[in-house]
Amino acid sequence: MSAFWAVLWKDLAIEWRSRDRFAAMAVFAALVVLVLYFAAPPSLDAAQNGHVPGLLWVAYLFAGVLGMNRAFAAELENDALSALALAPVDRGFLFLGKAAASFLILLVVQALAAVLFALAFSLNLWPVAPQLAAVAALGALGISCAGTLLAAIAVRTRYREVMLPLLLLPLLVPVLLGAVRATTALLTIGSLPWPAVQLLIVADGVYAIVSFLCFEYVLDE
Amino acid sequence: MKRWKQATAATLALLGTWWAWAVWNAPLDSVQGVIQKILYVHPPLAFAAYAGFIGTALAGALFLARGEERLDRFAAASAEVGVVFCTLMLVTGPIWAKGTWGKWWTWDPRLTVTLLLYLTYVAYLLLRGFTEGSERAARFAAVYGILGAALIPLNYYAIELFGSRALHPDNLQRGSLGEGMGLPFLLGVLATLAAFAFLLVRRFELGELRALRAERLAHAALREDA
Repeated sequence: MSAFWAVLWKDLAIEWRSRDRFAAMAVFAALVVLVLYFAAPPSLDAAQNGHVPGLLWVAYLFAGVLGMNRAFAAELENDALSALALAPVDRGFLFLGKAAASFLILLVVQALAAVLFALAFSLNLWPVAPQLAAVAALGALGISCAGTLLAAIAVRTRYREVMLPLLLLPLLVPVLLGAVRATTALLTIGSLPWPAVQLLIVADGVYAIVSFLCFEYVLDE
Repeated sequence: MKRWKQATAATLALLGTWWAWAVWNAPLDSVQGVIQKILYVHPPLAFAAYAGFIGTALAGALFLARGEERLDRFAAASAEVGVVFCTLMLVTGPIWAKGTWGKWWTWDPRLTVTLLLYLTYVAYLLLRGFTEGSERAARFAAVYGILGAALIPLNYYAIELFGSRALHPDNLQRGSLGEGMGLPFLLGVLATLAAFAFLLVRRFELGELRALRAERLAHAALREDA
């Protein structure tokens, strides 16, 4: 368990000192919001804006994938990945530590992106902010768990930046479905639909458990 | 081995011919007409595709547990053949859909999940191709195969939860096929599964031969250095 705290502290400390991963994710999320505004502008007729909550999740998903691509970037230097693999600790907790760090960084980026999105699409998110934060956190959990496992795989392949989205995006569809449904309900009727939240919880559980158990097989010396 | 292959190829040819004859003579559906005969092709391809993907996941899991490389070669073969059958299924499905529903594609639960599965296993094959080191590729592919298979029930649950109008017919109930359609359908399933098994074994053998060749090359290189 101390391995979990050690890895979490290490990743957050590195991020705090350089802030490069956070900066890249935040700027990228802002650019995606901009592109989406021009590509799928909101209509003046509110009834035609059913697609808008989905656009927020496009921004979250792309920023998340970009962030996960950088998750093991620090470990590539000086063969630190092998050192991590050789550490005499339960690799499941190494996984949890890295996933938790990615989760926290993604949460901050999501908050920032939500503010920009609300500005761009003229939405008032304050009334539903706590519930939106909960949905965003559940989505970020799924992205972080599946993303950390697949990032550990992708970092050892050729074309690693391309490989991660290829591997991750098909698997994140249940998370996307649940998150978009929940966000749409929040923005239209103001309450969280239980089936969507249930789906998010189940999907996160599946990713977390499978990733925790399989992480030892992807971390090699 | 050669005799086994000849016998299987002959059986497959006979089964295929009998199936084609049965399909030719099958009664025409009163509503859909001749396009309904894709029923004898499309669902059997689906069975084979799913068998391939589940085989990949199971073989991958066993490989992680036992470490036997043959299991990994079987998983790779199963994924490749499964992707081939899935491609055929995704081609015949829209042809049938256009003829009966009037559109090439819908986001019906079964179609969506199958498409996601197809993309997952294409990514699996890319992962195998882009990973250097066969032992590492085997481990990575096994983990991804397990994740992919775990997503099958999850995706069905996810998409059913949101109750999109299901255009795709539900699982066939006993007796729901019309008069005279049972035999060609059964033959279709048998022939397709036999073709799947045949291709799977040939592809597995190819993997085994490649591994043997790599081993011999490695031994030859060692002897040269010595």
